[in-house]
Amino acid sequence: MLKSLQRNVIYFTALFVALCANSLWAFQTPGSSSGQEQQLLAVLQSDAPAAEKALVCKSLAIYGSDAAVPELAKLLPNPQLSSWSRIALEAIPGEASNEALRNAADSLKGRLLVGVINSISFRQDEKAVELLIAKLNDSDNEVAAAAAVALGHIGNTDATQALREALASAPVEQRSAIAEGCVLSAERLHNEGNSVEAMEIYDEVRHADVPLQRIIEATRGAILTRKQEGIPLLIETFRSQDKKMFQLALGTAREFPGGEVDQALAEELSKTSPERAALLIQAMADRPTTVSLPVVLDSAKQGDKQVRLSALHALQRVGDDTCLSALLAIATDSDEELAAAAQTTLAALPGQNVNQRIAEQLPQATGKQYLILLQLIGQRRIDSNVEDVEQALNNPNANVRSAAFIALGEIVSLKKLSVLLSQVVQPGHAEDLPVAKLALKTASVRMPDREACAAELAAAMKDAPVSAQTTLLEILTDVGGSNALQTLASAAKTDEPELQDTASRLLGTWNSVAAAPVLLDLAKTAPAEKYRVRALRGYLGLARKFSMPDDQRTEMCHNAFIATNRISEHQLALDVLQLHPSPSGLKLAIDAMEMPNLNTEATATAMVIAQKLGKKGIDVNKLMSSAGFEKVKLEIVKAEYGAGSQQKDVTDILRKQASDSPLIPLAASGYNASFGGDPAPGVVKQLKIQYRINDKASEATFAENALILLPLPK
Amino acid sequence: MEKNRISHSRRQFLGTVTAGSAALLAPMIIPSSALGRDGAVAPSERIVVGGIGIGRRGGYDLGCFLQQKDVQFVAVADIKAQRQGEVKKIVDTHHGNENCKTYRDFRDVLDRDDIDAVLIATGPNWHATAAMTAAKAGKDMYCEKPVTKNIIQSLILADTMRRTGRVFQAGTQRRNLPHFSFACELARTGKLGKLQKVYAHPAGMQAMMSGWLVPEEVPDQDVVDWDMYLGPAAWRPYNKKLLDGFNFEKGGGFVGAFNGGGVLEWGSHCVDLCQWAVDDSLPPVEYNAPKDGELMARYENGTQLIFREKGWIPLGSCPVRFEGETGWVEAGDSGKLVLSSPELLAGRSVEEIGGYPATFHVRDFLDCVKTRSQPKGNAQAACNAHIACHAANIALLLNRQVKFDNATNTFIDDVEANRLRSEALREPWRL
Repeated sequence: MLKSLQRNVIYFTALFVALCANSLWAFQTPGSSSGQEQQLLAVLQSDAPAAEKALVCKSLAIYGSDAAVPELAKLLPNPQLSSWSRIALEAIPGEASNEALRNAADSLKGRLLVGVINSISFRQDEKAVELLIAKLNDSDNEVAAAAAVALGHIGNTDATQALREALASAPVEQRSAIAEGCVLSAERLHNEGNSVEAMEIYDEVRHADVPLQRIIEATRGAILTRKQEGIPLLIETFRSQDKKMFQLALGTAREFPGGEVDQALAEELSKTSPERAALLIQAMADRPTTVSLPVVLDSAKQGDKQVRLSALHALQRVGDDTCLSALLAIATDSDEELAAAAQTTLAALPGQNVNQRIAEQLPQATGKQYLILLQLIGQRRIDSNVEDVEQALNNPNANVRSAAFIALGEIVSLKKLSVLLSQVVQPGHAEDLPVAKLALKTASVRMPDREACAAELAAAMKDAPVSAQTTLLEILTDVGGSNALQTLASAAKTDEPELQDTASRLLGTWNSVAAAPVLLDLAKTAPAEKYRVRALRGYLGLARKFSMPDDQRTEMCHNAFIATNRISEHQLALDVLQLHPSPSGLKLAIDAMEMPNLNTEATATAMVIAQKLGKKGIDVNKLMSSAGFEKVKLEIVKAEYGAGSQQKDVTDILRKQASDSPLIPLAASGYNASFGGDPAPGVVKQLKIQYRINDKASEATFAENALILLPLPK
Repeated sequence: MEKNRISHSRRQFLGTVTAGSAALLAPMIIPSSALGRDGAVAPSERIVVGGIGIGRRGGYDLGCFLQQKDVQFVAVADIKAQRQGEVKKIVDTHHGNENCKTYRDFRDVLDRDDIDAVLIATGPNWHATAAMTAAKAGKDMYCEKPVTKNIIQSLILADTMRRTGRVFQAGTQRRNLPHFSFACELARTGKLGKLQKVYAHPAGMQAMMSGWLVPEEVPDQDVVDWDMYLGPAAWRPYNKKLLDGFNFEKGGGFVGAFNGGGVLEWGSHCVDLCQWAVDDSLPPVEYNAPKDGELMARYENGTQLIFREKGWIPLGSCPVRFEGETGWVEAGDSGKLVLSSPELLAGRSVEEIGGYPATFHVRDFLDCVKTRSQPKGNAQAACNAHIACHAANIALLLNRQVKFDNATNTFIDDVEANRLRSEALREPWRL
């Protein structure tokens, strides 16, 4: 039975793949594909397994016709296949499916009946209304509920009338679904232009003894159906003591059409609690084309703090330049939270004239407003008055100078970069140096032409003190590009130790393969050993980190072997080869086995590479053999996998996998899969192997899923 | 703490970026006066949340929720007993109590009056059904994607959320990532010139099959509730391989046995971003058969939506590209942007625009629960993006062009395509 099922699933998988790939059924209209439909129906008529019949139902959903309905209907009482059958019956157009579903609804019970009713609901079968009305009285609440919702979806006169009557008379446990049906009916009526009856139904549900969520839905409908006359009900809902009703009002206010409601909302602001007013302002601001901006602005200026904060936030969306003066005043408020909120809003304030007005106000401003305007010029990147900002660098107030630096960092062009460069090379005030560096970096990394920027920074290094040169090197690293790279390369070879140190350190972190030749050169020629080490490690870091052709990576590792005799860097090169296994890398690892003090590590690396390549479909043994590995005589004495007392004997499995190499490849990627299951679920396990290589006994233990590379016995 | 500061800074930055247009991010209007001295949130400001089906992805979402000080997580429902315990442990450890209740049936969570919102992170099979059941129970929800399994579900989702007045956020977190926002903003506001092509990477354009595997012994219902796991999916026998909710019934136009595969799984993200780039317009009206690894769809105004497998600048997963008459931008999950001209950055650097974390999206949802505004991944936006994916899937399955009428939400003169717009749910579930 199971094998048959498996076979059929495979068959249908293949069938489906073929369908997708080749469109074998090229999708004739159902009428012209009757031959194929008959083949599908033959499966339903046979004693084929359920899996096969299920997938036939899927196909009939696309290709079935009335002819398929009788066979599909036979499956409706089948708990396993009923829903599969309905997939097709819901989709097949025409009266035959409707009739089959109605017939089934007469005979089925429980969940299967619910499913059939749901399908009738989807098909909006008006001929089923009488049947569904009868089901409203079904003793099974789930059946009655499904019928109520189905009547709502159908929503014709009879269905609607039945639901309205049931709303008043049905048992309380059924009323939620009946109310849901009523709301669906009302929505349909409203969409069809019958707002009067829709309104009546919504009001009936609002006043019925039904769950709050149904009342919420009905209230929303009642407000919107009334159009402009719904404003009083909206406001009444705003005043509800129930939080969920208030929340409904917030949402519905955003949906409400026209501009009249904005005035009503504005008037309600002063009548409600501060907590609610704060939320109401957000709803007002989500009506950007009709919102009363003066009311929002007034709310920002005075009153309860949380209302003011909300209004300030709302102005980020609906404010304009008319709000500028008030916001600047609030930004200097003694309440830090309000002041910060105003500054945030100023930074985001929409409106075409805002930037111009900020720029115009700067020269005349004083005190804290001057400071705020400087900050805004930076935050909004207003570049029309760089000279005015530049003047602020001479201000006696350090906070003002700091704000000016930050603003310049955001607005200067390449032409004006020299303003910041000069302040880094020769600060006007020593305490401004940190912020000047920050500003120069900010400006440099956003320059559209980074090569030109790097050239400017490099040129400034000539006459700069060493401390400034190191700063410029740091910034050049952030800028990147070939000019920056060459400048650092030159600095690393100067006679100045501080520059050597800084440049070699920064080159070691360079984030592009373009630095490889520079680093290799430094690895060989840098003036001190520690810089050569640093450069070579940076070089290998590039080989490790970046995508490149295998041969290029192998060549870089080869260069590293040649550039130094240090074992630690050789090991790093081997790590790179392991991380990015390739045939050329394997050959290099094998060559490295000849290097003094590197045999063990290089051997291990070659083994790992070989295994990784093997997993990509390459013949591992052939690879190892051609790579010059000596064959060994390997015997697995005993092998156990597990934890504590929960051990599994895997000797036979390992013996099958072992060959004439100390490397034992596994059949699957993990130990559990390779060894036929997990002997100790949820516990860290080990693999212990007793073995003999070339007749010498040894044993080894491996952490779960580790590479099984048996050490050669001594 | 540092993370919060950075997040806030980025939020502010976005506001700055979009000066002159509608704000990108939902309001954050909780004043400090609403906070206690220790930074705890006053009870009236708390949002009480329950979880439904918190597995791998849900665990990530849960972490984002728990980072928000105004979230009180109190319940989890899962058909797997082990998962219930695992999530309870995480939540209780975070809150320092034992209050997280566990349930097998998610409707028990929905029955709790104290719960305001739910996190739905079941497998895709359940997303739409659970979301609409939650909406009818009066809960707001953050629902993982793909949200729907077919076109009709997408339409019902949007209608249901509107009718019930619920706040719905799809797990399309890229809508709240600054660099994707920036790229979409360039497209929406005409900075690229008249928009001509938007590209999405569906990461696979083959239909998949979730299958009817070899029957195995059904576990005890208290360990794994197989019937509830199947939920709205057509019946099939228990097999533990199907218990991977992430891959089971992964949505698409052909649910039950045939699923949408990569077009929907990643399309619900990258097509969603393309939809944003075209200013959340209605979905494309024409979808063509795939050719040379590309499936071209066309919007009413002529803009093309292209599902493309290859040809991307390596910017990480989920790349999108928007091309206008005068410029283009491409973005991916690395947080990086590549633009046709640095001038498009208007003085900013790519680095300062920034990318993750995804907590922005959860924060957006929670703010909207309070304000009742529409979050970025709202139901209508999700509906449109999902319809585009489902219609593309149908063109893929039929291997020919299909034309969609957004007024009637039907395919034009196309019986086969129209029969793929929906699929019956297993009893007793309905939308």
